[in-house]
Amino acid sequence: MISSTLRQAQGPDSGHPINQTLSPADAVDFVSEESRRQGADRFDIVAGESESMGLELFEGKVKSTELSNSRGIGVRLFRGKRPGFAFTERMTREALARTVADAWSHASLTDEVEIDLPHPAPLPEIDLRLFNPDLESVSFEDMKNFGLKLEEIALKTDSRIENVPYLGVSRGSGFSMLRNSNGVFYQSRQSSVSAGLGAVAKDGENKKMGVYSKAGRSFEFDAEFIAHKAVERAVELLNASPLESGTYPVVFSNRVSPQIFSMFSSPFFAEAVQKGQSRLSGKLGQSIAVPEFNLVSDPFIPLMPGSYLFDGEGVAARKLDIVRDGVLQTFLYNLESAKKDGVAPTGTASRGYSGKAGTGFANYMVRKGNQTLDELLTANPRCFYVVKLEGGSGCSAVSGEISIGAQGFFYEGGKRIHAVDRVTLNTNFFDLLNLIRGFSDSYSDSFSSVKVPDVLVDNIHVSG
Amino acid sequence: MEDSLGLGILPFMEQEKAQRLLQAGRDRGADFTELFEEETRHASVSYKDKKVESATAGTDYGIGIRLLFGTEVLYAHTSKDDEEHLLKLIDALAQSRGPVVGARHPSTGSGTMPVSKPIVGVQLENRQRIVLDPRTIGQERKLDLLLRADQAARSFSKKISQVNARAGDVVSEILICNSDGLWVTDTRTRCRFHISVTAEEGGEIFVAGEAPGVQRGFEFFEGLDAERYAHDAAERAVRMLSAGYVKGGKMPVVMGNGFGGVIFHEACGHLLETEGVRHKASVFTGKIGEQIAHSEVTAIDDGLIEGSWGSIQMDDEGRPSEKTTLIENGVLKTYMSDRVGAEETGVVLSGSARRESYQYAPVSRMRNTYIAAGKHTPAEVLASVEDGLYAKKLGGGSVNPATGEFNFAVEEGYVIRHGQIAEAVRGATLIGKGPEILPLISMVGNDLELAAGMCGASSGSIPVNVGQPTLRVDSILVGGR
Repeated sequence: MISSTLRQAQGPDSGHPINQTLSPADAVDFVSEESRRQGADRFDIVAGESESMGLELFEGKVKSTELSNSRGIGVRLFRGKRPGFAFTERMTREALARTVADAWSHASLTDEVEIDLPHPAPLPEIDLRLFNPDLESVSFEDMKNFGLKLEEIALKTDSRIENVPYLGVSRGSGFSMLRNSNGVFYQSRQSSVSAGLGAVAKDGENKKMGVYSKAGRSFEFDAEFIAHKAVERAVELLNASPLESGTYPVVFSNRVSPQIFSMFSSPFFAEAVQKGQSRLSGKLGQSIAVPEFNLVSDPFIPLMPGSYLFDGEGVAARKLDIVRDGVLQTFLYNLESAKKDGVAPTGTASRGYSGKAGTGFANYMVRKGNQTLDELLTANPRCFYVVKLEGGSGCSAVSGEISIGAQGFFYEGGKRIHAVDRVTLNTNFFDLLNLIRGFSDSYSDSFSSVKVPDVLVDNIHVSG
Repeated sequence: MEDSLGLGILPFMEQEKAQRLLQAGRDRGADFTELFEEETRHASVSYKDKKVESATAGTDYGIGIRLLFGTEVLYAHTSKDDEEHLLKLIDALAQSRGPVVGARHPSTGSGTMPVSKPIVGVQLENRQRIVLDPRTIGQERKLDLLLRADQAARSFSKKISQVNARAGDVVSEILICNSDGLWVTDTRTRCRFHISVTAEEGGEIFVAGEAPGVQRGFEFFEGLDAERYAHDAAERAVRMLSAGYVKGGKMPVVMGNGFGGVIFHEACGHLLETEGVRHKASVFTGKIGEQIAHSEVTAIDDGLIEGSWGSIQMDDEGRPSEKTTLIENGVLKTYMSDRVGAEETGVVLSGSARRESYQYAPVSRMRNTYIAAGKHTPAEVLASVEDGLYAKKLGGGSVNPATGEFNFAVEEGYVIRHGQIAEAVRGATLIGKGPEILPLISMVGNDLELAAGMCGASSGSIPVNVGQPTLRVDSILVGGR
């Protein structure tokens, strides 16, 4: 049956031209059969399709409009214990057969790995509300009208706003499909919409850009709120000046704390530990941070972008305590790293159709504290409140090094003294975890899978 | 159409189909319609943890459709190539602007829209000298290179705890046709070798890497001195492992040659792309003819350097590439432009329209961008600094074009004391503003070198070279401890 399908596909008079594009579901069937025909008794296949539409506006006009439809399929198969990967965005039988042949030939090059592919298992019965069919009716006209409103409000809110060079509204949806040789077959769908702008404020020769965007599962955004936020963020940093070099208590705003913490996700991955790329190696069960630090990987929060019921290798999702009261509880595993450590996978494999399986947090949630932001800002005689970070090239997840440009405000005696720019922060993430002096009681309102409250950290080196 | 390598059928649509699609754009009122069809084959092998960690290959395929109404850009892309679907996308794009006035009816031909020009093939001058097409060579031929690199790095020191070596190649078949009658195809072949070496001692870890890349065929891997790159990365990882932290503050900085050119790329190059200028999002808007840099500085963006990682035979609008002088003796001469950017800013086309893939509309981007060689020896440049920082090798960086604010990480740095290189320092970041830095480049060395990198911006991630000779910047903020 399997081989006859292929012969039919490749035959000149089959009625199924080899260059006819298949749907993702049919492509998954075809690749599955073709993998078995090659001789692979174990394999998994990931396929995906996404659609999006959006536009950008500038000076009252649409500058660009974009419409997209992308699809692709990736296969990992095993020749004995040797894995081979390949993917394609061409969904013709010819291209799919070549992809499977590529994967099969790669499986003769790789070294053996121990992997147990999962068997079908019931998924948690939770409605994550990741797909909203109502978004399909959001038209270009709706997006254009909303975008025009954003620009108009931004320009009239403050006379120092000279320009809104970045303004976009878009929506997108996608679905993914995962099948393996044990009979696992899962599908998921999601959709989202976003709107945002970057406004430039000018005062003399001094320029600052403020960026704010909203995204979510429904198009219920408040244009006034979004535009005002962008303007506020541009204007508040005008005429900033550096700080005197030295060590300061620093409050990372919840706008930037997720950026800092998410840059250091990979040390929590078992794969990084096993390959000598994590300074958390050997720290399981030990204190790695102050007791107030609690980190959870939570896949079950409705509407959030990091939520899912099954991971990239078909393992059912789980909520995981990663750090509890400052003590490291577990690393994050995929199938390969779990087998290597002789533990169960944690449902945290990440994989798109074009890449091999990696590891990733679901929603990265650092528990809130019980202080207000104001309390953090007034906890010390002086502090640097950071609201913007610049670049991340000076940060290394392996060494923990943090060397990064920052902008924000200098506080003294509990009062905001002046805006700050042209300074850099220098510390090490693994030291920072033990220098945390408090978390606020609020997350930012961004549509992000990383949530970290405002955080006060002692003794950060600031150069200005 | 059978290709010369016997690799099978080339992926491109037939000219008749293209002509119908281009006409559909015209019929819906577009001033200009363009099709960009691409099939890209990626193949790589990586060796990590003393194992062949992965061998993978993949094919990207898709079509991008661009309609221009004046300088308004409408763009659609898809992985499906059937004509009905493509016509629907053209319709949806055009309708996003509201009803089309005077549209030519697709079946009767009635209407006032002009007819698309007949397609005329253009033959590019072939500047690529590909000896071995990677698509014809088995991936197993990369293994020896990776094993040699791994061994060379590990044998450098017992402190080397991990080595990750990867050899990857990419071959793209591109078709660009448009309503001006253009029909041009290109094959783009690039190969790159990466090595990342981790050194560890007493709980401290440092990672250093090298990543040479070229626009050549598989012969690049066969002639590559992998041991040298492995040795250089291992040596740097071990040396920086025990380096102290730089003391932060404003100071003179000598930038090393090669990848040091990322400073010009980030701090100034992005600000000289018409994509930023036309949105008034560049601080260099309206400055052509003005002295924006020290008179020692001449900066060039050259798409024609043979075999160079950032070179292109034609840009992604089908225009032949060229060498563009951006700044001459400190004076701004022009911007890097694409079709829309050139029209809006009034500069000439420079063959700089680029995109990562069919998934992006093309915009002006850099190719091989560098500060031209000056007259000083590197030793003279170093000797001119009493106390400062020698940023021998920079890591990555980023810039906000609207404000000119940039930042870079220094991967390998040294204190300069009395004009001499002293102890190694780590954890340095350089920050500042592009327009403020250019006048402060006061000495330019004679040791120009280019280095490969990937540049990310609105039209995706593209291969570019950055480059410069050794430079002195009189004052720059160095972040440290």
